Amino acid sequence: MNENRRQILEMLAAGKITADEADRLLAALEPEPTATAGEFTGNIAGSKGWSGNDMGATVKTHAKYLRVLVESTEKNGPTTVNVRVPMQLLRAGVRLASLIPQQAHDQLDETLSKHGVPLTLSQIKPENLEELIDHLGDLTVDVDAKEEKAKVRVFCE
Amino acid sequence: MIPNVAVLEIANPHFRMPRLWIPLILLWLPLAVLLLLLSPILFIIVCAISMTTGVGPFRVVRIFWDILSSLRGTDVRVTANGNKVLVRIL
Repeated sequence: MNENRRQILEMLAAGKITADEADRLLAALEPEPTATAGEFTGNIAGSKGWSGNDMGATVKTHAKYLRVLVESTEKNGPTTVNVRVPMQLLRAGVRLASLIPQQAHDQLDETLSKHGVPLTLSQIKPENLEELIDHLGDLTVDVDAKEEKAKVRVFCE
Repeated sequence: MIPNVAVLEIANPHFRMPRLWIPLILLWLPLAVLLLLLSPILFIIVCAISMTTGVGPFRVVRIFWDILSSLRGTDVRVTANGNKVLVRIL
């Protein structure tokens, strides 16, 4: 325990300051987390603090991997897919898309829109991917089929 | 940094392959020699890609290098109908 922290606690014990004031002073002693480029902010519901309290904390961390978890129960038994892809590979993949000729882009866009995916591949750039990573946070998608139940979870870690 | 080791495991209800640790470093060395020998042909291919797409040849090489380098950490595990496949790149 450092000197400043001890003084605050002694002041609290002596009744010179209230618990709220002590809390604010202790919080002021904590170093501020600094955000840098490439970080994302994700709210982790139900995350536990040091004291074990439910904080619902907002954490800032580097997303290094994209994880895709698929769990489904079929007639033949459970099927699980667990894929971890480095973010760097996604970025490199987006850069690879820049090598695709414009004619192929047009054909791909047309085919995708025919299948109900209105996506323009040429507009996907590494900057867009960063934006996507920023907003991905913790996404959970539950898919229910008629006879099977599948759960798909996509998140950054 | 390029991947050094790949881990592969395949299993089904009747057969279970022992987990294979494949040292990719042993692959990169002969591949580097092969690439050096094939460099004139590869140069032409890269130039052709560059002319088609309008992207500089060094950028093409860099993109492929980036993809190779970023493979580290890839982890794929699939289990279905008692079959199991594990691929990890370290």
